[in-house]
Amino acid sequence: MMIWLVMILTGLFTFCTRFALLNGWVSRALPGWLVDALGFVPIAVLTAIIVPAVLLDPVTEEIILTGNARLVAAIIATLIALFARNVLATISSGLGALWVMQWWL
Amino acid sequence: MPSHVAPRSASAEFWRGVSDELPLQLGVVPFGLVFGVLGMASGLSPVQTILLSSILFGGASQVVFAQLWAAGVPPLVVGGSVGIVNLRHVLYSASMAAYLRHLPLGWRVALAYLLTDEAYAVSIKRFQDGPKSPHQHFHLLGSGMTLWVAWQLSTIAGVIAGTTIPDAWSLSFAIPLTFIALVAPRIRLRADLMACLVAAALSLLCQPLPWKSWIIIAAFGGIAAGWLTHHFSKKPLTTGEK
Repeated sequence: MMIWLVMILTGLFTFCTRFALLNGWVSRALPGWLVDALGFVPIAVLTAIIVPAVLLDPVTEEIILTGNARLVAAIIATLIALFARNVLATISSGLGALWVMQWWL
Repeated sequence: MPSHVAPRSASAEFWRGVSDELPLQLGVVPFGLVFGVLGMASGLSPVQTILLSSILFGGASQVVFAQLWAAGVPPLVVGGSVGIVNLRHVLYSASMAAYLRHLPLGWRVALAYLLTDEAYAVSIKRFQDGPKSPHQHFHLLGSGMTLWVAWQLSTIAGVIAGTTIPDAWSLSFAIPLTFIALVAPRIRLRADLMACLVAAALSLLCQPLPWKSWIIIAAFGGIAAGWLTHHFSKKPLTTGEK
């Protein structure tokens, strides 16, 4: 039951973030410092999700730097993302690299 | 006929929104599939996984929700983490306001619900680049609905496939890969890099803290680091808001 409550409340909050300025709940112009801060939200949040998923062992939760196939795959994907700027190319190169290393090396 | 002579009709705007949005589905559909798989793997029921895609309707926040819920994190921390992931929508709402504020309430509710990263990206371009039209909000309706349908269908496909895809495929790794595709091209200024590095360091250092609170701490730390670097480096502002 609890999960539904949390789903609906977070859903309502998310809706409010999208609706707030369309309904004039917040004055038309957000303060400049807040706009600047919100601009860093995607980089900060997504990095915080990426890094542990790449570096931590799923079982022991220790940081693995050597012999870590996910780290190598993530580096390859980052290079593809920077140069190709294409979501699908990034995902497929990263997954492809991971599969090659897991199954053939 | 040149489009600046007669404004485009409502249906022309709608279909333009649909066709502008379609190419982005190449990245959206695999992400939706992976979320469907991940939701099931996190112990959500098929119905919960599918409905999360329409209740939250935000890929990154749904991933965070599923992962934290699976880890038994207290509901308040789940809510706070999901909330911070979705805070960026305030910016979209702000820059859309000038084009949508005059609409009746029902329209604003519907368009706010559909205001995701990908729909925002194509429709704000149309609003800013013109030509102005009394029907231009139909563009966002078209782009938003396209994304919504693709997201729901790919989530459902992922839920169905979830039980048959072997773990050895490491499909859940597609989630950090998707985020890499979104983050890497955004890092342009020193402040962006600082936000990224501080968030990365905190996400590792704060692992021992309870309730997976490292997500919130790393996010706020990264935002603060980016903001401070930006503020003190006296570089020109990065955003075109206001």
